[in-house]
Amino acid sequence: MPAKKKRYGMVIDTRKCVGCMSCTISCKMENGVPFDGFRAWVNMTERGEFPKVKRNFIPRLCNHCDDAPCVSVCPVKASYIDDDGIVLIDQNKCIGCGYCISACPYSARYLHEGLQVADKCTFCTHRVKAGLEPACVHNCMGKARIFGDLNDPQSEISQHIARNGVQTLRPDLGTNPKVFYVDAELNNLPNKGGK
Amino acid sequence: MLNRRSFLKWTGALTGAGAAAAAFGPAGLFQLRPVNADELESLKNQGIEIKYSADVMCPSECGLEMWVKDGRLTKIYGNKAVPFNDGTCCAKGASGIQLVYSPDRIKYPMIREGARGEGKFRKATWEEAIDYIGQKLTKIKKEHGAESVIMDAGDVTDRDQYWRLFFAFGTPNVFEHGSICDTPRRHGPKLMLGGKRIEPDLMRPVSVRQPDGSLQKDMTYKSKLIIYVGWNPFVATRINYESRGTLAAKVDNGCKIVVVDPALTNTASQADLWLPIRPGTDGELFAGMLRYILENDNPNSLDRRYIDWDFKKYSDGWDEYLEAFKAWWTKIDPMTKLPYFSIEWTAARTGISKEQIIELSHMFGSTKPAALVCGMQSPGHHYNGYVASILMTTLNVITGNFDVPGGAIDTEITKSDKGGSATGKDFKKKKVKRTINSTEVEAEIEQLHMDSYGDWPVAWDDVIGDYPKCFKEGITLKYGKFKGYKYPIKAYIQRTGNTVMTGSAPYRWIEALTAKDASGNYNVELVVTVDTLYLESAVYSDVILPEASYAERMSLCDIYPSHPLLYLRDQVIKPLHESKIPTDIMNLLAKKLYDLGDKDIQPKDFWEKYKSQDDFVNEMLKPAPGRYNIGQPLPYPNLPEGYKLIGTPDSLEAGKVTIDNDKKEIKGDSVTVEWLRKNKGVAIWPMSWHRYRKLDATTGDYVANKVFPNTKSKLVEFKFSLYADLDKKIQDGLGVSSGMKDLGWEHLPSTFYWFETNWNPYTNPKYQKYANEYPFQLIVGRVHQSMTATQMLPTLAQAPCEGTWMPLNNAFEQEILDANPAIKEGYEIKTKKFKANTWCVGTVLMHTQDAEKLGLKTGDMIEIENPLKRTVKSKVFVSEGILPGVVKMGFGTGGRFSPGLGGTYKQKDYTPSHNELIDPDSLSPLMGMPTYADMVVKIKKI
Repeated sequence: MPAKKKRYGMVIDTRKCVGCMSCTISCKMENGVPFDGFRAWVNMTERGEFPKVKRNFIPRLCNHCDDAPCVSVCPVKASYIDDDGIVLIDQNKCIGCGYCISACPYSARYLHEGLQVADKCTFCTHRVKAGLEPACVHNCMGKARIFGDLNDPQSEISQHIARNGVQTLRPDLGTNPKVFYVDAELNNLPNKGGK
Repeated sequence: MLNRRSFLKWTGALTGAGAAAAAFGPAGLFQLRPVNADELESLKNQGIEIKYSADVMCPSECGLEMWVKDGRLTKIYGNKAVPFNDGTCCAKGASGIQLVYSPDRIKYPMIREGARGEGKFRKATWEEAIDYIGQKLTKIKKEHGAESVIMDAGDVTDRDQYWRLFFAFGTPNVFEHGSICDTPRRHGPKLMLGGKRIEPDLMRPVSVRQPDGSLQKDMTYKSKLIIYVGWNPFVATRINYESRGTLAAKVDNGCKIVVVDPALTNTASQADLWLPIRPGTDGELFAGMLRYILENDNPNSLDRRYIDWDFKKYSDGWDEYLEAFKAWWTKIDPMTKLPYFSIEWTAARTGISKEQIIELSHMFGSTKPAALVCGMQSPGHHYNGYVASILMTTLNVITGNFDVPGGAIDTEITKSDKGGSATGKDFKKKKVKRTINSTEVEAEIEQLHMDSYGDWPVAWDDVIGDYPKCFKEGITLKYGKFKGYKYPIKAYIQRTGNTVMTGSAPYRWIEALTAKDASGNYNVELVVTVDTLYLESAVYSDVILPEASYAERMSLCDIYPSHPLLYLRDQVIKPLHESKIPTDIMNLLAKKLYDLGDKDIQPKDFWEKYKSQDDFVNEMLKPAPGRYNIGQPLPYPNLPEGYKLIGTPDSLEAGKVTIDNDKKEIKGDSVTVEWLRKNKGVAIWPMSWHRYRKLDATTGDYVANKVFPNTKSKLVEFKFSLYADLDKKIQDGLGVSSGMKDLGWEHLPSTFYWFETNWNPYTNPKYQKYANEYPFQLIVGRVHQSMTATQMLPTLAQAPCEGTWMPLNNAFEQEILDANPAIKEGYEIKTKKFKANTWCVGTVLMHTQDAEKLGLKTGDMIEIENPLKRTVKSKVFVSEGILPGVVKMGFGTGGRFSPGLGGTYKQKDYTPSHNELIDPDSLSPLMGMPTYADMVVKIKKI
C-alpha cells in the first residue's frame, strides 16, 4: 500500500499548560532565534476580579494554515506549503520585504535580524524529518502539546481531536489553521493577535 | 506517535538493557514509548553525539539529553528515559547553553587586590590560588583548629568532593544550602516519618510489578484531590513531575486541585479553586481542618468516614497527640477571643470563610485518595512553620492517604541512597584533642560541630542564617566532651551558593565578612568562592576558583521521586576556560595541604584513591538504591520481603544477588557509571505503595512491617522520639537553647504543640501595634526563571512570571550571547541595546485596590519600608491576583550588585532585594531558619 500523504498539525491542550514558557525558550534555543524574535510565545492574560481571577495561557506559534495569507502575498514565492502541509520559507529566495509579516493575522512571523529574512515556526521540520518531535513538544512541561499526522486516524493527535472539542484561533478569518486548541475560552480572550 | 515506521518498536528496557520486560500490557492501560533507533543513526551521520546528563540550574535537576557537535554543546532536551521529568525540560533547562558559554562566567582563578566588596581581583594561576588557600588553611588550623573553617557547599548538590576534603581536614562544620531552604516545612515529616518532603503521588510513568510477574510502566493517575498550600509546583518547585502530573490528574482523572496561597500563582490559576489566605496562617487552617475532621468523623456514615482508623496499626502515640491537641479547644485566643482551632477561630485568623473551611475539611476527609501538600512558601518561611508541617503530616496520615496510590508520599524516604563513604563522613569519627580550662580532652571531631553542640541542638539541618553572628562572636560548645570549648570562625569556603544574598539579611553578611580586628586584619581571615558564576558572595572573597559548569563535570542527580531512581550527571564537554572539575579541585587542594605537612590528609584517601571523577562517582553509587523490598505490589517477589536492596535493577531482577540474612540485606551488582551510560544514564527500580505494611500470613491481615517509615520505632510517630532523645541531651547538660527560651520552653514537647509566628499583627499580640502604620504583609516566592544565579541567562528575561518578574526594565545596553545561525557556533557574544519594557526584572505584586489607594499603576516606582527602618525600591505590578493587604516579591530577583549577573545587574537600583527587609534576628526557634515571609511593610510612591 503506498504511503498516504502526511498532513502535520498540532493540538495545544491549554488545560495542561503550566505557563512555564518552555515552548518559547526551547524554540529559540532550537532554531537560532535571536533575542528580539519569537517563533513561539505564550499570551498571558489576567481576567476576572479577586478572588475569581484567572491567568490564561495561550501558547502561540505559526498556525500552518491551509489557506495561508502569508503564502499568497509573497512576491518571490519564498513562502510555500510543503508536501506535508507545513508552511515554510525558502530563505534563499526571501528578500526580506516584510509583506508576509504584515499579512499574517496571527503575528507569527518576524524579520530575522542577522539573516535579514522573514522567519517563523517550521514545526521543527529538521527534527520531524529525523523522526523526532518539534522541540517545543518534546520539552513541554505540562505535556500540553501533541504533534502528528492529521491524516492518520490512529495518530495521537487525531485521537485527541476526536475525543476532545478543539477550536482554531479566529476561524472567522478563513485561514484553516492546523494548530488546534482545547480551550473553551480561546476566542473570547483579549490579545488574540499580537505577541 | 510520529512515525509509523518506529511505531512497532518499543522500549521494554524498564529496568535496564538486560531486563527487557517481554510481556506488554494491553494498549491503553500502559502507554509505552517508541524507540527510534534509525533516528539516532541519522544524527550520528551528522556528527552529533547524544549524551545523557542532568541539570543543575535549579534543584529539580531534571534528566537531560544533550547534543554535542565538534566538542560543543549544541542542544538540550529532557531525557525521555528518566521518569522524573519524562522528557520534559523547562525554559531554564533548555537555556543551558547560555550559561555554559556565557561571557559572564568565572574563567580563571582570581586573587583579591582591593578591599573585600570592592570587586578588584587579579588573574592568578591555579598553583598560586591553591597555594594561597593551602597556606592560609594550614595557618588557621595550627592557630585555631580545623573547626574554625566552614565549608558551605551551597545551592547545588555536586558537593561530596568538597565535603570529603574538609571532613578529612578535620572540621565538622561542613554544610549545604538546606538550612536556608525550608527547614520548618520539613520538620513535621522528619519527626513523624523520619522523612522530609511530602509530595503527591504524581510521578508517572512508574514501573510496577504485575500479577504475572512482569514489570510495566504505569501511566495512570490515581489522585482525586490535591490541596497545595503555599506550594507552587508550576513555578517554584524542585519536583518536576508535579507540573505535568497535577494537570494530568485533573484532566485525565477528574482530580480536584485546590491551591491555598495569598497570591494567584500559576498553579492557583490552573486549579479548580484558589483560596487566598492571610500570610502565616497555614497552621491555623490545618488545625481548623483537623478539629473539624475529628469532631465530624463518623465511621457509620458513607460520606463522613473521614478517618481511616487503620492508621493506628502503623503508628505510635496517637492518644497522647490527640489529648495535647484537644487541650487547646477550651482555651480562648487573646487575638480573636475565640476558642482555638474552632471553625470561627480558623476563619478569623485565615481570612477564609467558615463555609469554605468546612467545605475544604469535608472534601479532604471524604475524598480518597488525596494529598495535602504544604510548600516552602508557607510553613517553610514562617517562625512557627513546624506547627503547620506537623499538622499537615497528621492530616495525611489519619485520613489514610499516606503512601497509598494517588495519596501523599514522603519522597525523602523513597528516593535512592547515594554518596556512601565518598562523602567522607567517617572522618568525623576521628578523635582529636582540645584543651579546655587547661585540661586536655579527647573526642570525635563531630563533637566540635558549631550548631549541634552549640546554640542550635535541635537544628539537624544546620543554621546558615546565624553565621554572621558566629563570625562575629565565635562558637562556644555547650554539650559533649568539648563542653565549654571556644573557637572563632576564621575561614569561610563557599562552593556555589550565594549566602550574601540568600542567607538572611545581606547587610549582616557584608558586615560580618568585612569586620576587622584592632590591627586592621579581617576577622574571618580567609574567604574563598568556588563557582562557575560570579555572584555577590564572590565579591567578598579573597580567592575565586572557577569550577567547571554542570555540562563539564560528572556527578549524580539529587531528586525527590516517589520510588528509587538515580541518574548520572555526565560530563558532556571538556571544562571551558581554565575551570576544573570538583574531583580535580579536591585533589589539588588535598595535595597542597599534604605537602604543607597536614597529616590528616593522606594520598590513599584522595588522589591515589580517586584518580578520576569516574572513580569518585562509582563510590558514590555503591549504596544505591539502599531502600527496602517492601510495599504492594512487592518490588521483587523473588527476593525476601523487608530486606534492604543494593545493586543494579537488572541484577536484582535476575536474582543475581547475595543475601545476608543477619543484616537483612540483598546485594546485586553495584551500579556504576558504565552501567548508567549503557542505560541512557538512568537506573529505575520498581514502585510500590503501602510501604509501611506487610501481609501477615497467619491472620491474613496487614500489619506494620517495622521497616518503614524511617523513624526510630519504624512506625508513624505521633509521640516524637527524636525530640525525646534531644531533650535528654538538653536536660543532661546541653541546656535550653535560646530559641527554646524565646518560646518559654524548658523541655522539647513530647507531642503536638502550638505557638504563634513572628511579625504577624493579625495572629501574634506582640505585633498588633504595627498593623496601622505598616498595613501590608510582605511575602516572597521563588521565581523559577530567576533563582539567585540563573537570571544571568538572557532568555529568562523573556519569560515573565506571576507579577514578580515582569518586563518593566528601563532602557539599557548589555553584552549577551545571542543566536546567529549564520556562523558555525550558532551563537555569538554581542552588545545589544534593550528598549524599556522588553526585559524581565524583579517587581512587587500588589492588588488593584491597594494600588488605587496609593495612586499607583503598573510600572510606577515605590519605596517599601519595614519597622526596622530598612527600605528597598521597586517598580510595582498591579493585579487582581493577590490578597489585598499583601505584597509579594521574588527571591533574589532584584538589587543584584554583582556584575556577574549580566543584564540583571544593570537593573539593581530599581529592583527589590527581599532579604533587605527580613528580620535577621527572627530565626525560627528550633531550626534557625530565616523567616523570609514574616514581615510587615509600608509603601509609598516615589
